[in-house]
Amino acid sequence: MVDLLNLNTYVPALFVVLAPVIGGLLMGIDRKLTARMQSRIGPPILQPFYDAIKLWGKQPFLASGLQPILAFGYFGFSVAAYALLAFGQDILLMIFTIAVADVCLIVASFNSKSPYSNIGAKRELLVMMSYEPVMILAALNISIMTGTFMIQGIFDITVPLLPYLPLTFLAMIPVLVVNMKKSPFDVSASGHAHQELVRGIYTEFSGYTLALIEFGHWTKVALMLSFVTLFWAPNLIVGVALALTLFFVTLVIDNVYPRLDWKSMVKTTWTAGFLLIIANIIGLIVRLVAL
Amino acid sequence: MDHGMLLALTVVLPVAAGLICLVANDGLIRRLVVAVTTVALIASSLLLYSGGGFVYEPAPVFETIILVLDFVLLVYFLYAGFRFGNLLVIGLTLLQLLPIAYFEFVMGRVEVDHVLMVDNLSLLMSLIISIVGSLVVVYSLAYMDEHEEHLHLERSRQNRFFFFMLLLLGAMQGLVFSNSLYWLYFFWEMTTLCSYELIRHDGTEVAVRNAVTALWMNLLGGVAFVGAMYVGHYYVGGISLAELLGHSQTPALLLLFATLAFAAFTKSAQFPFNKWLQGAMVAPTPVSALLHSSTMVNAGVYLVLRIAPAIQGTSLSLGIALVGAFTFMITAVLALNERVSKGILAYSTIGNLGLIFMCAGLNSPLGYAAAVTILVFHSVSKGLLFLGAGVVENRVHSRLIEDWEGLLARLPFTSLMMIMGMISMFLPPFGMLIGKWAAIDAITTSPLLSGLLIIMLVLVGSAATTVYYTKWLGHLTVLPQAERTRKGEELPAAYAVSMLSLFCLILVMSSGVGLVVNGLVLPAMPADYWGGFYAGLLSLETFVGSFITYPYWIAAGLILLMGLLIARRKGGVVKPPYLSGENVPDNPVAFRTTADGEATADVSGMFLDHEVSSPQLLRMGTIIGALVVLIMFLTVVL
Repeated sequence: MVDLLNLNTYVPALFVVLAPVIGGLLMGIDRKLTARMQSRIGPPILQPFYDAIKLWGKQPFLASGLQPILAFGYFGFSVAAYALLAFGQDILLMIFTIAVADVCLIVASFNSKSPYSNIGAKRELLVMMSYEPVMILAALNISIMTGTFMIQGIFDITVPLLPYLPLTFLAMIPVLVVNMKKSPFDVSASGHAHQELVRGIYTEFSGYTLALIEFGHWTKVALMLSFVTLFWAPNLIVGVALALTLFFVTLVIDNVYPRLDWKSMVKTTWTAGFLLIIANIIGLIVRLVAL
Repeated sequence: MDHGMLLALTVVLPVAAGLICLVANDGLIRRLVVAVTTVALIASSLLLYSGGGFVYEPAPVFETIILVLDFVLLVYFLYAGFRFGNLLVIGLTLLQLLPIAYFEFVMGRVEVDHVLMVDNLSLLMSLIISIVGSLVVVYSLAYMDEHEEHLHLERSRQNRFFFFMLLLLGAMQGLVFSNSLYWLYFFWEMTTLCSYELIRHDGTEVAVRNAVTALWMNLLGGVAFVGAMYVGHYYVGGISLAELLGHSQTPALLLLFATLAFAAFTKSAQFPFNKWLQGAMVAPTPVSALLHSSTMVNAGVYLVLRIAPAIQGTSLSLGIALVGAFTFMITAVLALNERVSKGILAYSTIGNLGLIFMCAGLNSPLGYAAAVTILVFHSVSKGLLFLGAGVVENRVHSRLIEDWEGLLARLPFTSLMMIMGMISMFLPPFGMLIGKWAAIDAITTSPLLSGLLIIMLVLVGSAATTVYYTKWLGHLTVLPQAERTRKGEELPAAYAVSMLSLFCLILVMSSGVGLVVNGLVLPAMPADYWGGFYAGLLSLETFVGSFITYPYWIAAGLILLMGLLIARRKGGVVKPPYLSGENVPDNPVAFRTTADGEATADVSGMFLDHEVSSPQLLRMGTIIGALVVLIMFLTVVL
């Protein structure tokens, strides 16, 4: 358990506090890179923070009385999930905690009678359905490698996961695309305003509730990328490089692919996820047995 | 008080109370009897629990009584078969009546040592039946008044309703304490009788049809039981459950357990026997609440948990796991396409029982612990969900979840109950999810190929579960601005007491999950299954993971508190939704269309009609389920 007198305890705590900030920075980088890919100059990297500060000070309008509580729930449980990761806890518990955050966001958008946010909420449900099983299967694969579901276990084995789990690593790409709400799977809401559902799941948030949702989203993106760094756990600098590579790949995919419907999203994430990871598991077992 | 007295009290009390209700068809007496029974039953099962396990031999005269009652019961089933002209019922009853008569009159009586046997598993079951079951009966007091008022009956039929409800409680108590297969079989058929009578209670055409379906499907289980007794008597040498469990493994013994597992599938409505439980929702809601939460369907899982230690490592055990996992997956997908509130709950019950079968079939210490954990938490949450659904149905006069829209504003108390019921079914840190977490850990530690197949079924199932519950939560919490008037909700005391008790039980049990695991779940397990799962100070531990408990609750509480504070601090005016800027003033859901006409924005639920076609899927599920059961039998026989 957590040892409060040990200074090392405070390093993960620092990460937890910084997670939303890192996520916000990544969002800024995302906007800059995307702009460059589209031959635009793009906003400053700190733009997401400027936006958030401005949102926080805006006149508060709500869709329902529950909305701000649930919006904070999305942020709060994303941070809680990050804390579980940072403190080396159970991966499954982390994934379930992300689900709590998602449920808060979805129910908050269902709170309003708005057709746009309602459709967005339903699609977000399918988003959840598409990536959660893949994440759990990936966790299962990691646990076969490390013998435990604890994230600490990934550090304890001292060899990097990637050489043993290459296919599972690839399966993380669609998971990342879906979680960052990027094309082709930005079905529930996206950075670019798609006309057919306005801002989708975000439509009915404004002012500070929107800021809270943004914080939650940043934390979640930081969480997903931090999860990817675990694939090279002994040396986290390599891990971060891996995560940034996947981040960049996601941006390229976003700019190359047109938007697809939710069915292709579920089909792609499930087929790719299940096939790749199962193949990886079988391969890994064969390899471990051969050793 | 002495053990035997307590045991007799626990079994006989509900039956006696039922008889009083049957004879005295009067509201006041009924209230008195139910109140006294509830308190006495909970007290006696708690006392019994604190006393621990023992064996008990009832006086020989009871053997004869049970025998006579069993014949009466079977003859009654035969009568029911002729009355509704159902050949299946007649045939299946004869298949039990004739062998039993042959058994008794030609072969002579089979002696069984320790007719009744009380251990921690049966005590735990008895506790669930007493607490959750009694609360459902309390709830029925108010529900049936409303129900009959709605039906405008000339003469109240509540006497027979309460008789069978209470009889079901008594039969379940007897079932979990029986060690003799014959006694077990008798109580098993008693639950069949009660469910049949309760499902057809309203006497409508549909009710009768579904009751007869429930009857023949459950009789199928009865026939399996008779088969098991036959095999036990002739090929293994006894029908005492304890002896059979301790017997060295032979093919005949395995066949016996396979037939018992088959009976369990029918009672717990696993695919392909799912139809009867879905049909059971035509009955008044308390019936569903009782059948789904603490009685009837639990009999099946109880039986499999009972025999699990004896079939460890067999193909039978794997077969049970596969039937369960498949049922969990397919019911979750089917629930996506279900519009009726009780229909969704029915699928959820069948699915979660499937999950329990899956865990029991994995037959590892961790799997067993997961099974018991899910069993305990499921009964409380599902009880509350059905009770809430019943209140809503009587108030809203609709069974469709789309009509639940904005319920939070209309029925705040009941909505809160439903919200608690729902989130406790699928989100951390509630007990059901802890069970599911332990189940995934258990699958991880099982053999590779079967493990991979099972995990995929479970993952698809749990993803779909999240979707259908969250969707429902969404319907419930929509706040249409037009209906913002918030009045207090008037509830009869029986509703409030029963629902609030279950609500508190969920909160207390889930926040104190460590105590529940150490105090209830682990003691209920066979001794050689200990060690795979235990509660530490701050977390639950398995070999492969750790689930933080109290810190998680504190964190969740803090998040809620901070959310409330921020909402308080920043506040905000509630504005109509965005309708492309064409909102009609004073009507939050209307917008202006061409030529300044007004149109109302409306959104329907998401039921994936094109993707999930229920009739086809049900047919496919039945076929696949039947195939898995068949293959399970073949591997046992061959």
